[in-house]
Amino acid sequence: MNIDQFGMDTITLAGPLEAKLRAVRDAGFTQIMLQARDIAGHPEGEAAAIDAVRASGLRVTGFQVLRDFEGLSGHLHTYKIDIARAMLTMCHALGSTVLLVCSSTSTHATDDADACIRDLRKLAMLAVPFRIRIAYEALSWGRNVSEMPQAWDLVMRADRANLGLAVDSYHMLATKTPLDALDEVDPGKILFVQLADFMWQEVRSPDERMNTARHFRVFPGEGVHSSDIADLVRRLDALGYRGDYSFEVFNDDYVQLPLATVAARARQSVRFLVGKVSRRSLPVRAKRTATQ
Amino acid sequence: MHVQEHNPEPSNPLGMDGIEFIEFATSQPQALGGLLQRMGFAAVARHRSREVMLYRQGPMNLIVNAHADVLPGMSVPGSTPEISAIAFRVRDADFAWRRALELGAWEMPARASAMELNIPGIHGVGDSLVYFVDRYHDFSIYDVDFVALPGVNPNPPALAGMHFFGVVQSILDDRTDDWIDFYTQLLGFSVLPGGMYFGIMPKGTLLESPCHKFYMQLIEPPPGSEDIEWEERLLRVGLGAPDVRAAVAALRERGVVFVDRNPIQPSDKGALTQIYLGGVTFELVVSHLADAAPARAGR
Repeated sequence: MNIDQFGMDTITLAGPLEAKLRAVRDAGFTQIMLQARDIAGHPEGEAAAIDAVRASGLRVTGFQVLRDFEGLSGHLHTYKIDIARAMLTMCHALGSTVLLVCSSTSTHATDDADACIRDLRKLAMLAVPFRIRIAYEALSWGRNVSEMPQAWDLVMRADRANLGLAVDSYHMLATKTPLDALDEVDPGKILFVQLADFMWQEVRSPDERMNTARHFRVFPGEGVHSSDIADLVRRLDALGYRGDYSFEVFNDDYVQLPLATVAARARQSVRFLVGKVSRRSLPVRAKRTATQ
Repeated sequence: MHVQEHNPEPSNPLGMDGIEFIEFATSQPQALGGLLQRMGFAAVARHRSREVMLYRQGPMNLIVNAHADVLPGMSVPGSTPEISAIAFRVRDADFAWRRALELGAWEMPARASAMELNIPGIHGVGDSLVYFVDRYHDFSIYDVDFVALPGVNPNPPALAGMHFFGVVQSILDDRTDDWIDFYTQLLGFSVLPGGMYFGIMPKGTLLESPCHKFYMQLIEPPPGSEDIEWEERLLRVGLGAPDVRAAVAALRERGVVFVDRNPIQPSDKGALTQIYLGGVTFELVVSHLADAAPARAGR
């Protein structure tokens, strides 16, 4: 593993898009996860935002986030399809090949798995001409899908080439989903992995998970679940996952610190993870075993 | 009591029935028209209000669209002709279109199409469209939008029994499965077993139309082609002919040049024309597809 597999997420940083891109690049990262607000909220408009991303030289890990998409009907479904089309168009314009979709929290969404599968298939089809893959993530306060294995079940049953799974360490840890569940997942269908630690041992209620997720995440190595996160990365690595990792760290303190300071913490987190994972898979150990 | 199950026919949910037309877009329609005439097509009608011509040969309709009104986000036709649309004959165009949208196709505004009739279309590969046409029996779409050229046979016979056989689509790396989803789910195509090829270009993945009258061939970049500019688009039209050598001879007489170097040289199985106009080729494939019905029945 090396730093090229890791990227930062613009939601972690304060300031204008250009400053975020510069800070991430200056910290030695080569990729960036973008959110739609970076583009829509750019003071000089969407085209300027897209130009800034392209000029940065950073590879776009993915684009987020389409919310509350699956399981709606009637005019709500029609509305969400329009939103999905607009996000796919932006995603494509940015040169991103992954759109993140998190499981629905809507009280209007049905729990009928067949309906959700139909919607995910439709979204995947909308993404085909744009060469975009749909990464479906279990939000830990999702209404019907709140754990990774549930999201994986829908992805498998939907069975579309460009539909896969986004694994998020925060949500898995918040719901105490056993990491063994990853063994059931086809690593080729994991489209990317988001990493964040947090400060509390437990987040029991959906509201508590949401609040923690939106304000109190920290980089891996800074919280109390760092060994679990290192374990998660090691397991993914052992499974054969060679895709991108992105730090999705929502933190109220980090958005009032200098960008370089936060980016340096992200860089330190890469060292922490690479050290943990590499140490556990040193070829020396294998050699020693072979000679026993 | 023993109940005999009926095995259903392979699914053809749209009632697909072959190709109504294939459209090229170009800013130099005369040059492409000249090439099409060498290929055995004849100009038979002109669009009432746009710079669009209809060429025909036996069962095949080709439309040459030089109209500059393009869809938002799509490129203006360049001098190199590109295949800009495939129109499938279906049982009910509106049903086919609505079904495709329900499954995740992108709706394309009809105003930018070659036709003034509202022919429903969806987004295909690259800048191309897929149209659905259900008026091909007693009444044709051309009756409304086109004016026949005076003194011209509206149904010129096919040279050497040529007919539409397929379209080759270039795709990017690792995109075969995505496009298989597109053609199988939206249009009812099915994947032919690996290694089953026609013609002389045994590459990529072949998909058969649900009506068994047409093929799509998906081709990812060949190994070692990193320096070649490779984009996703409709690459070339394949023409079927019962006797490829006879078709090659007839076309050579008309001045068409075929690639004649190994491994691509005319054979009983197929042939490939040289590249014309910066990017247009036609592939001949041995074929006895019973698609040789007149392009415009009932006239």
